[in-house]
Amino acid sequence: MNASLRLIGIFAIVFIAAPLLIVVPMSLSTSASLQFPPPGLWLGYYASYFTDMSWLRPTWNSLVIAFFTTLLTMALVVPATFALVRHRFYGKSVANLMMLMPLAVPHIVMAVGYYSYFGDLRLVFSKTGVVLAHTCLSVPITFLVLSANLKGFDRNLERAARSLGATPRQVFVHITLPILRPSLTISALFAFIQSFDETVVALFISGRDAETLPRKMFDSIRQEADPVIAVISTLLFLIVALALLAPHAMRLTRRMLATASRRTTPRDQT
Amino acid sequence: MTSYLTLSGVNKQYGAFTALDHVDLDVEKGEFVTFLGPSGSGKTTTLMIIAGFEDATDGAVEVAGQSLAGLAPQDRNIGIVFQNYALFPHKTAAENVYFPLQMRSVKRAEGLARAEEMLTLVGLEGFGHRYPKELSGGQQQRVALARALVFEPDLLLLDEPLGALDKNLREQMQIEIKRIQRKLGVTTIFVTHDQSEAMSMSDRIVVFDKGNIQQAGRPLDIYHRPQTRFVADFIGETNLFDATVTDAAARRAQSPVLGEVSYAAEGLPALADGQEVALVLRPEQMKLSRDPVPGRMNAAMTVETIVNFGDSALVIGRHGGTPIRVRLHGADVVILKEGDAATVSWTEDAVYVVTR
Ligand SMILES: Nc1ncnc2c1ncn2[C@@H]1O[C@H](COP(=O)(O)OP(=O)(O)OP(=O)(O)O)[C@@H](O)[C@H]1O
Ligand SMILES: [Mg+2]
Repeated sequence: MNASLRLIGIFAIVFIAAPLLIVVPMSLSTSASLQFPPPGLWLGYYASYFTDMSWLRPTWNSLVIAFFTTLLTMALVVPATFALVRHRFYGKSVANLMMLMPLAVPHIVMAVGYYSYFGDLRLVFSKTGVVLAHTCLSVPITFLVLSANLKGFDRNLERAARSLGATPRQVFVHITLPILRPSLTISALFAFIQSFDETVVALFISGRDAETLPRKMFDSIRQEADPVIAVISTLLFLIVALALLAPHAMRLTRRMLATASRRTTPRDQT
Repeated sequence: MTSYLTLSGVNKQYGAFTALDHVDLDVEKGEFVTFLGPSGSGKTTTLMIIAGFEDATDGAVEVAGQSLAGLAPQDRNIGIVFQNYALFPHKTAAENVYFPLQMRSVKRAEGLARAEEMLTLVGLEGFGHRYPKELSGGQQQRVALARALVFEPDLLLLDEPLGALDKNLREQMQIEIKRIQRKLGVTTIFVTHDQSEAMSMSDRIVVFDKGNIQQAGRPLDIYHRPQTRFVADFIGETNLFDATVTDAAARRAQSPVLGEVSYAAEGLPALADGQEVALVLRPEQMKLSRDPVPGRMNAAMTVETIVNFGDSALVIGRHGGTPIRVRLHGADVVILKEGDAATVSWTEDAVYVVTR
């Protein structure tokens, strides 16, 4: 690698990592509000996050909402993607456009829309309302990830499986699904994170009962700048980092196990 | 002999486009038949109709006297090998080969044992635990073949299975496929657009063009007795000369290049006096000399190019505007040089007539 490329790389890393270098120390601070550099080091705010219901409830709400958003998104997007990628039908391009629409509309506009529309349906201030709104926001990105993968899927694999005796259902279970599993996982993860992250719509329609974590953080930073916010950010970062490393770790152990078993039983390891 | 696979009047339309135009074909049990033809001539379409992935617009397909109409692909018991192999990437070689048995409710242990046997037959003993991406192109090809054969299919269809392999591997796999096919006696249709592959492997060759079967026959018959202008032109090196039949009963025609010509009696289409035809003369069946040779038919030409291959040479000459290709062997090569006036000569039984 040449020197200037390396320099750009270093800049990029610093730029991305800089917030972390500030947030992580702040979460360990003794100060009563967000302050950098921290006057002293203390784990107290971690303790208060894990004991304070006014933080734990929104966390729980966010997890529940993200979970159901993911479920609903996948239930809608998976069949829709198969239909849009593999079949021709009247109105296909309009349907395609509709799937991507939420990407083009600013969240704040969507939020105002949901606020007035859900009001009539009595869905404002309920988890159901937030799940429905978040699902709309998750659909485009999930659809984009899945359709890109499905377009690259070799249909001859399915034909081969059919000729070998599999019914369409068996083809889906034994061939299509396992091969698409990584991209399904990734798109589900996108839906989950999109919902867990979402602030604007949540601010408008989550209310007190369905208050989500980002909304609580937003309220808190406006009112008291509680360092618990830094704690949560640090924890989220750790979770994401672990999630990213997990597949590598799994692959590594699987490979090690495989070579070990191959060594002990040299022939019949099929 | 009775026909095992029968296509009768098979038609395939894609909108207004006719991909297959009334295809009739009989294949005997255990026969190795090759579909040969240029790109887009309908070879794959025919295979897909036999396999059940496309519906014929019209016509019928029968195997062993049973119509395949309405039978789903998974119920047809037909093994297919695709050009890109279509191995399941998430399954090992052995699991790939086990898959058709799994679909037939064979127990895993027994199925994997049979898969391993089949892998041994195709020369992949001990490779069962590898994933497709850990195998070379030739090895993947063998796995695909094993997978298509392990469930003892009634038919084996191979769609340009060797297209992606380099020349040496190709020749090796040609021999290998032939060996396995003979051993198992499975009725096989092999698609290629490589004519030497078709010549060397097939019991019979079916030549496709524009959705039509131009000719079906044994390799040497296809080569020496082409029935259409397309086949004559497509298979091997050929000279084609336009001519008009002057006396159908005496087998005589008049050609602007060759003059008054008699043609062979074998494999003649029905001809009438005055009919426009083309005369086929293979380059290796013509001779070149300075002067006309008594006892042979002769025509004048000017030597333009000599391409030397060592053991033979291709002489390309011209008579008027028409090129004439002559293949010479050994000592014949040296007597002429480019620019010379020469005489081509041939005998009556080397001239075949195809309709225009
Ligand atoms: N789904 C389709 N829709 C429209 N036209 C099609 C379709 N499938 C095939 N065709 C057309 O039918 C014709 C025959 O195609 P086919 O794939 O059978 O050719 P082929 O002989 O296998 O050619 P190749 O040697 O290139 O594989 C082609 O002109 C092709 O464009
Ligand atoms: Mg083809």
